[in-house]
Parts: sequence; C-alpha cells; structure tokens
Amino acid sequence: MSNELPMMPAKRNHDGVEKESESRVSPFMPMFEVFRNELDEHHDRRERIIKASRDITAASKKIVRSLKNDIPSKIESETQERAAAMNKQFLSIAPDLTGINAWRYQRQISGGIQEYMEAISFETYLRQQTLITIEDARKTLPEGIDLTSDDYVLGIFDLVGELMRFAITTMATTGSLPRSKGSDGERDVLMDLRSLRTSFEALNTTSCGGTGLGKDVEKKMEVMKTCVEKVETAVYGMIIRGRERPKGWVPDLGNDRGAVESY
Amino acid sequence: MANPSMVDPKIFESLQTKIDEDAEAREQIRAILQTLERQGKTTQSVLSRVHSTPAAHLSPVISSAEKSIIDEIASVKSLAEIASKSPYYKYNGMWSRDVQNVIFAILFCGWLGGMGTSDAGKLLTIEEVGKVLDVPVNLKDQDAFHISIEEYLQALITLIEELARLAINSVTLGDYQQPLQISQFVKDLHAGFQILNLKNDSLRRRSDSIKYNVKKIEDIVYDLSLRNLIPKAEAPSS
Repeated sequence: MSNELPMMPAKRNHDGVEKESESRVSPFMPMFEVFRNELDEHHDRRERIIKASRDITAASKKIVRSLKNDIPSKIESETQERAAAMNKQFLSIAPDLTGINAWRYQRQISGGIQEYMEAISFETYLRQQTLITIEDARKTLPEGIDLTSDDYVLGIFDLVGELMRFAITTMATTGSLPRSKGSDGERDVLMDLRSLRTSFEALNTTSCGGTGLGKDVEKKMEVMKTCVEKVETAVYGMIIRGRERPKGWVPDLGNDRGAVESY
Repeated sequence: MANPSMVDPKIFESLQTKIDEDAEAREQIRAILQTLERQGKTTQSVLSRVHSTPAAHLSPVISSAEKSIIDEIASVKSLAEIASKSPYYKYNGMWSRDVQNVIFAILFCGWLGGMGTSDAGKLLTIEEVGKVLDVPVNLKDQDAFHISIEEYLQALITLIEELARLAINSVTLGDYQQPLQISQFVKDLHAGFQILNLKNDSLRRRSDSIKYNVKKIEDIVYDLSLRNLIPKAEAPSS
C-alpha cells in the first residue's frame, strides 16, 4: 500500500504539489537502519538465551530425577555429564548476559537458573544435609552468569518439593525417614523441611507486592507448605499403621505433585 | 532454635536484607516518578493547546511547553542519579512509560519549532533528545541510566498519533499547508518503521497503529486536494 520506493512513475499527485516526493527516499532511513540492527541483535540474544534456559531447565530436571540418597557411580557419572553439558549452555550465553545485559534478559534466563538452583541445592542436601548458600551456588556457575537473590529464593522453594518426594520415597522403600548425623546432632528430613518452612514464613516479602518476586513467592509459599504437610501426614501414617503396611506401599501423592513440578 | 537446623540463619537474614534494599530502591524511584508523572501531565496539557492555536500564535505555547519540559528534565536528571545505583534493566520497567512521555514532549515541541530547532517539521534524533535530557542514549558497554531505542521508537509512535490529530485540527484552524507537511513527515517515519523486524512485543502492537494514522492523514490531504484547497505556490518544506 505505501511502499515508497518501487512504484510506477504515474502516480496520484496532490495537484502537482508533491511531484518529486514520491520517488524520494525517507530521510530517516539511515537512522532506522541503525535501529533495525540494534533490535535484531537484541532479538537474537534474547532467543539464544530463551533456548539455553530451556535446555538448562530440562537438564536440571533430569539431574534431580536421577539423584538419590546413595548416588551410584553410574548415575554419578551421568549427572556429571549433564552438569558439564549444562555448563556449556551457560558458557554459550555468558557473552549475551554480560554487563548491562545481565538484567536485560533476566526474565528469559531466570526459569533455567531457578531450575538449576533446585538441582544444585538438592544435590548439596543429599551430600551434606545443608542448604547451599547463595555464595556457594554462585561459585558453581560459570563466570559471567549471575545468580540473583530472587532466583536463589525461588529455586529453594522448589527444593522443598524435591525433599518431599525424597522423604516419601525413602519412607516407602525403607520404612523410615532419611536421617542425617551432622556435627550438631541427629536430624531427619522432616526437621529440615520444617526449618526451611519456618525460614520462608519469616521472610517478609510484603514490600515486593507488585514485582515478579512478590507474585511468585505467594504461589510458591502455598505449594511449599503443602509439601511439608504431606510429609508430616505421611510420617503420621507411618507411625499409626506403619507395621500393617505391605512392603513397597507408596502413599498417594495426589495431584499437587503436578503443581510442584510446574513451578 | 532448640533443634539443630539444615538452614544457616545467616542465609535468610541476608536474603531479607536484599529484599529490603530492593524495596528501598523502588521506593526512591517511585517518589521521583510521581513528580515526573505530574509534570508530564502539565506539559501534555500545554501541548494540547497546539490543536486550537493558529500557527501564527504558536510561539507562546511552545515557550510555555519548553518551560514545563525543563522541569521534567530536572526530574529525569534525579531519576538518572538514583536509577544508576542499580542495574539499569532491573527497574527500567518502572519509568519507561514516563520517560517515553518526556521524549514525546521533546519530539513534539521540537517538531513544532521549539527546543532550539529553527524550523517546524524537524525530527530530533535520539542523540539530540539525549542531549536535551543530558543523559546517554542506547548504552551498551556501561550499565547506567539512558534512553533506549525502544523508548525513542515508542515516543515516535505517540508523535505520529499526535500529528494525525493535528492534521485534522489544523484544517479546522484554516491551515491547509500543515496537513501536507505532516503527511510527508509521517510517511517518512512509516517507511522507517517498515524496515524494522519487530517481534511480538508492545512496540509491534503499537506500531501497527502507524498505518492507520498514515491513512487518516492521507484522507485529509485527499479531502483538501479534492476541493482545491491545497496551497499551490509553496511545496511542503521537508
């Protein structure tokens, strides 16, 4: 309709006033060419990051699924391979996320980072029964990839879901909760879940009302509480009817598991 | 706590600190934006008078708009100072709309012949807008407050909408020359927008409106030419 350049010479003219104007090129073209290049670069970066974030998410999920209490060497090496592949993904987008662009694409990368946080914190828990600190988590990421405290918190929320699965599966197969002996005495996973819950509940996020963190925290807080309560109910069930239960019985995890996985 | 815990309490303490710091940063930015928004409305209402002011009497309106824009520039300056303490893209969503409004006001005022442009009908480049606001533009190698390309383009779309309105109103004021000038200007901008590869974002959605505005202005020119109302002697300056 209004492509200015390639048109037939005979064209509507406003009473001859604009005789030459139709054949002229917009004086703003050089400026828009610069804009076009900038925007193209931006979109390319954005797409690369979205793709990497998806791959990192998938790899993290696989790692989490294969992690168990005693990590057999075969799974161990598989996990390491996946971690190495993930590391490559991170490295490939590190140049896109340097300097000012670290926050520019935060929304695109944050899904992958949170999933990664979940995997790395679960692994740390299985090995050491501690919550990985943000500093230590940061150290596991390649140079140039930033871990924001928001992504850290949201990843740790998801850790609760993993610990629930871990607790319930272990109870089903061994008949007792996973326990650990630390320097500070003996604990079980339910105590750990409760201390996570207490810490989360103490976190005051009312100030982040309209922000992304505020909304996510609200959703994840509910899921997190449900997870802890499920383990509590399962422990109760184990104590009440523990010895009547046939071996290999698995408590019903219900539909909420889907919700846990998707967020 | 009586029980030993997997959670080092320091972890959540420092998370809380971070959350509170972020809230404080947002609060500071919000305070400036309130001022900027109010000033933006003042400028907008001054610029609105353009639609009912004959070209000959435009200069008091322009200088009054310029005065109002100077207030906005001061606010943008304090915004830039506060905002540059945090990563630019962390909070830029908060001010983007207000900054777009300021850019638009500067572009419109400049197009009318204000902001130090000698003639009407000129487009201030993003660099010129940056100079007026005394802030950098399109920063890439440094993380600080600046005017982004997207903000400039959004302001251009607002300018096009405003000029479509002005094209109609200038006819009402008896100025048959202005629509021709607007038509050429907007067509040139439209040609520029057409070479951009826009993704499905807000820029894309708003830029769809440009072609309707081009058509609206063409219709006005058509109406004028049909009735032989187009001044013949002078070609539109461009």
